[in-house]
Amino acid sequence: MAGNKKINKRDIGKLLNKWSQGFTVFVPSREDKVTAFAKWDGVNTNFMEWYRNTVISPKTNFFPLMEEMFSFREEEDGYHTELPSSDKHKQLIFGIRPCDAKALSILDMAFKEGYEDPYYLSRRKDSLLVGLGCTNPYDSCFCTSLGGGPFDSTYVDIMLIDIGDELLIEEVTNAGRELVARTAGLEEVTEADKARAKEVKKSSYNKVTKKINTEGIQKKLQACFEDKDFWEKVSTKCLSCGICTFLCPTCYCFDINDDSFKKQGARFRSWDSCAFPIYTRMPMENPRSEKWRRVRQRVCHKYEFFPIDFDVIACVGCGRCIRQCPVNWDITEILNNLPTKA
Amino acid sequence: MEQKLRQEAKALLEQGRVDYIIGYEKGSLKFTTTPLIIKDKNDVDRLVVNPFIVNNLSVFLTEIRGRIGIVAKGCDSRSIISLIQDNKVSREDVVIIGVPCSGIIDLCKVERLVGEERDELDDVTREGDKVVIVVDGRKREFPIEKVLFDNCLGCKFPTPQEYDVLLGEATSPVSEMTASRARIAELEGMSSQERWNFWKGEFNRCIRCYACRNVCPACFCERCFVEETEPQWVSPIPKWQDNLMFQMTRNIHVAGRCTDCGECERACPMNIPLRSMARKMYEIVEELFSYEAGLDEAAPPLLTAYEAVEAEDLIR
Repeated sequence: MAGNKKINKRDIGKLLNKWSQGFTVFVPSREDKVTAFAKWDGVNTNFMEWYRNTVISPKTNFFPLMEEMFSFREEEDGYHTELPSSDKHKQLIFGIRPCDAKALSILDMAFKEGYEDPYYLSRRKDSLLVGLGCTNPYDSCFCTSLGGGPFDSTYVDIMLIDIGDELLIEEVTNAGRELVARTAGLEEVTEADKARAKEVKKSSYNKVTKKINTEGIQKKLQACFEDKDFWEKVSTKCLSCGICTFLCPTCYCFDINDDSFKKQGARFRSWDSCAFPIYTRMPMENPRSEKWRRVRQRVCHKYEFFPIDFDVIACVGCGRCIRQCPVNWDITEILNNLPTKA
Repeated sequence: MEQKLRQEAKALLEQGRVDYIIGYEKGSLKFTTTPLIIKDKNDVDRLVVNPFIVNNLSVFLTEIRGRIGIVAKGCDSRSIISLIQDNKVSREDVVIIGVPCSGIIDLCKVERLVGEERDELDDVTREGDKVVIVVDGRKREFPIEKVLFDNCLGCKFPTPQEYDVLLGEATSPVSEMTASRARIAELEGMSSQERWNFWKGEFNRCIRCYACRNVCPACFCERCFVEETEPQWVSPIPKWQDNLMFQMTRNIHVAGRCTDCGECERACPMNIPLRSMARKMYEIVEELFSYEAGLDEAAPPLLTAYEAVEAEDLIR
């Protein structure tokens, strides 16, 4: 799968300009005081200097914090509803990390199963993911324990490998190949470039030092599900805030609320979190009123329940939940210390 | 200090004076610490005291049942006193292990100062009034004020105001208050329209994770107004107007309880400068009522008391 093309880093702006003709291009940005993927401004490519990963994951490009589902108004003959004008632009996410790309493949499953979610799926359709391999993973990254890696290209259309002054371009999917074929001005790679790329990949893989053991994890979690003492002990310091779930690239719970005044308004959906005590209080009660049950749910949903339905662990090891947690609640410590039956 | 803490904690557990010890242990990431809640005396060696003990542990007091030995810095001790004033905690149920504090290091400031992220730093140590940061094997020194949290700068009460044990000599403020309220002064210098636009931009980012509320020891309502549905005071849809209303109401609710510990701002994943708002409210309370939170456990909670010399004619 080694790429045949490459581009000098100083020409990234030109490349993005070309790609902006068919897509709305999103790049890592820190313009709004927190790192996230934002629409490219047509000029700035300095993210290459600071970008490791964003605090806000690119799931927001497909499943935003809040979105209007439809608007409504009451007239004499009853209620009338209207769908929002869809943001039909084709998104190109430039620089998405392999973990976050894998996370989108997990969200795809959740939003396709049973009911096909038109809001999410319409944004995903025709979008293109241009991955940028990680040469400088965080100490909180643990993707390699989950079948991924800093250069895992399975879930992107194109993968870029930083070999110093240049980016080597690996075409992964047909859509990626077509885009690269259409892009004029790319240079041919040399054997030396390929060797360098191989080296970069290997050394980056070894930089991911945080590990979990996923062998038999489903069974282990099943076995300790009723172990209240264990879950109580590990959940004590959790504050029940929504940071871990909101920043998680694979969490997809949402709440639905109306915003209305007099006879018109709109129905919105916005992120919800199983960490909240009032989660699902609206239809009835939260079956997980105690904190240890909520903490257990977050861990088990990702590592035990989701794999039952979809055969994949719903965690990609991006480490956001660890980096951003105000009390440093570390899921890897819990997973590595699950009680084994005596 | 650490050795003394471990001895004290061990003795408290051994003598059965407390059921739990709440303190700090080494965190899972470089330089960080994390809350440690233990009941086994064999765990006391995990306790640490260092310039990275960020959390205000008193937030756990309203949740954990039993008698508790708690490690507290100056601001944390005031939160405990405030909880005692509000009848949320009984003085006899807590053993306050006071840490004379000389400021906590804000790792985000360290990152900005040297242009490298936390996990890329080789070492960060405090040496008196200096911080020594080692990056790529190169040692760099800065005045400690450059890396302390804003609320630590000019802190009037670095030594715990109430304690059963004090783990060292009382400390004095590390700097003038001016540095601590630099951003507030900047906001005060704006026209009201500029300020409105500023906060609009800030609260546009809010994702309503409620970390600011959950990390706050003064936010102890069993059911927060923001979650009420009948009537619905604030919409759960995270639009900036409602996000701002939520935070402003929260600030009014904790007026007279907020000790300026800065946890709301530290916890915010969206970098909203929440302490600017909280600190301003703190100053308004001080100006109007000559009151600072958590200094006297016998005093009635501010907004439950009335005095004939109140500043406002309205209630006189």
